[in-house]
Amino acid sequence: MAPSTTSNRRATTRQRRGGSVLAAVVATAVLAACSGVEVRDGSDDQAAATGEPTAASGPLELAVLPKAVGHEFWNTVRAGAECAAELAGDVTVEWDGVTAETDVEGQVNLVQNFVTRQVDGIVYAATDSTALAPATQGALDAGIPVAMIDSGTDPQPEDVPLYATDNRAAAVEAANLLAEELGAGEHEVALIEFQPGSQTNTERVEGFTEGLGQHDNLTLVGQQPSHSDVNEARRVTEDILTANPNLAGIFAANEPSVLGAAQAVEAAGRSGEIVIIGWDAAPDEVAGLRSGQISALVVQNPFNMGYLGVQNMVEHLREGSPLESADTGVTFLTQENVDTEEAQAILEPSCDNPPVG
Amino acid sequence: MRERLSNALSEFTAAAALVVLFVALSFASPHFLTADNLFNIGAQTAVIAIIATAQTMVIITKGIDLSVGSVAALAGVVGAITVRDLGFSIWAATAVAIAVGALAGLVNGLLVTVARIPPFIATLGTMSAARGLVFIVTGAVGVYGLPESFQLLGNGQILGIPFAVVLTGVVAVGVAFLLAQTRFGQYTYAMGSNLEAARRSGIPVGRHLTAVYVLAGVLVGLGGMIAASRVNSGQPNYGIALELDVIAAAVIGGASLFGGQGRIIGTLIGAFLIALVRNGAVLLDISIHYQMVIVGLIIWAAVYFDQYRRRRLESRG
Repeated sequence: MAPSTTSNRRATTRQRRGGSVLAAVVATAVLAACSGVEVRDGSDDQAAATGEPTAASGPLELAVLPKAVGHEFWNTVRAGAECAAELAGDVTVEWDGVTAETDVEGQVNLVQNFVTRQVDGIVYAATDSTALAPATQGALDAGIPVAMIDSGTDPQPEDVPLYATDNRAAAVEAANLLAEELGAGEHEVALIEFQPGSQTNTERVEGFTEGLGQHDNLTLVGQQPSHSDVNEARRVTEDILTANPNLAGIFAANEPSVLGAAQAVEAAGRSGEIVIIGWDAAPDEVAGLRSGQISALVVQNPFNMGYLGVQNMVEHLREGSPLESADTGVTFLTQENVDTEEAQAILEPSCDNPPVG
Repeated sequence: MRERLSNALSEFTAAAALVVLFVALSFASPHFLTADNLFNIGAQTAVIAIIATAQTMVIITKGIDLSVGSVAALAGVVGAITVRDLGFSIWAATAVAIAVGALAGLVNGLLVTVARIPPFIATLGTMSAARGLVFIVTGAVGVYGLPESFQLLGNGQILGIPFAVVLTGVVAVGVAFLLAQTRFGQYTYAMGSNLEAARRSGIPVGRHLTAVYVLAGVLVGLGGMIAASRVNSGQPNYGIALELDVIAAAVIGGASLFGGQGRIIGTLIGAFLIALVRNGAVLLDISIHYQMVIVGLIIWAAVYFDQYRRRRLESRG
């Protein structure tokens, strides 16, 4: 992919962000100006107190909170959320978040602040499943419905849905895809994981090994983590290649792991010979897919997370429909389908052609 | 004289461990003793070895540089950005990366000498600030879309030898010469042994100490650029906890955190010892968790033997 495409995409993201920051500022200013004379309808208050949806078609204000702001993944979630808001009409998305995914306490405070502000609904991704559980409960107690995206809480209240990738199921599919690409016969494969101990990593590793269990002809000969560092991914892959000259396939479980693994294979002069199944779709990963370095990419649908979160929340608030969890799905990107309309809708999502449904 | 003997002894211990590990791995894995694997180890160790060389200079002055990982990342992403957005050649980008490192080194040096902030705290601040700058200039997204030529430093070869290995050799020989044979080296050891005595004997301590940090920054900038080149991209998360690896390499090789002691040859041995553990662990499919424990044990053992020998040497003398 040409670098210009990348920068164009970033530029639009930035404009988008600029636009909604402005919108948020204006909305906040208007709210602040009105709050002094605001008279709340009695029935509204009652409905809010009992947690029942308000069957109103009036303007809605939703807080949509990512794990952290400033990342490509979350910018795409935001685009999906704003798209659903725009299509529903008269819905304001308040996009706000902490700057680092590790700032768990900051996110707890943020959720509480939106509860205090009495937004109509909260759609968010928990930075920590245990630590955020009380925050979710606090919102529900205040009569504000909550929908989770990408990462839920533990425990997850029954009336709080989760719109997320089923990592385990997708990783099982990745193993199946690897088996399919390699074909019949005995094959040695390796796994490059990223952050041992993190929940997403565990789900992908367990899903992949579970998937491998269904294919007796595949043997896992190496498993090492990259700690989400491309250099480290490259180093461990080089060493796995050295130790296993017959290695036929690699599953790399996130973006830096994929890039490092592909470079190690390239440096060993075995590009195209070793099947690499990757995860995510950074520009260089897609370039690797086009050049044949990478056989397939498991691509999540962050746009759909934001979209489903807001769409369902709006329907719940306006029509009283129950909130139900959904798998936001993954797409298996290959050299054959990368240029199809469907794949492009996932890679360059826009509200004109939303990759949802 | 005793100092030199002690240096040689701790290097001897580390070198012996290196040889033992090398031989053991040669038997344990049929793939270890191959030209490809040895070149791989060389290239994998290059960045750590170069940055550990920088760290050794600072440690000899009784200082420490915790900012090396962040500064290496900053140099790498800035270098990558100049290539992507300004069309710089890899050489011009490397010069920029080195300048970024030198500037960070200058800041560290001035904080230590002029502002009188202890090196640990001064470089802790730089570590945080530089990482922040990395996220600011990249928007927390990797710098991709670089031309093939960007890979020269990290993946290129000269006469079949990885370019990164050649650079490591040049840096190591250059700094070793500087430390052992020049007035710059004498001053460096003198300041680390006794700063006050060095000052009284007329050494321009402030200027010289700053120069050590700047030179260290130059090497860190170079190392960061090699790391970026190796993965053909600028990675905002590169080098987190790198300072621990390079301090470990220096300490295993005989550098003393009390200052005045340490040589580049020892640091190289330390860097390769750590690299061999990691390489061997992957070849034998040992989990990362054990690798970390093993490196910890080596650090303990190296420093313990070092202290033990020193004590014996002193009780004899």
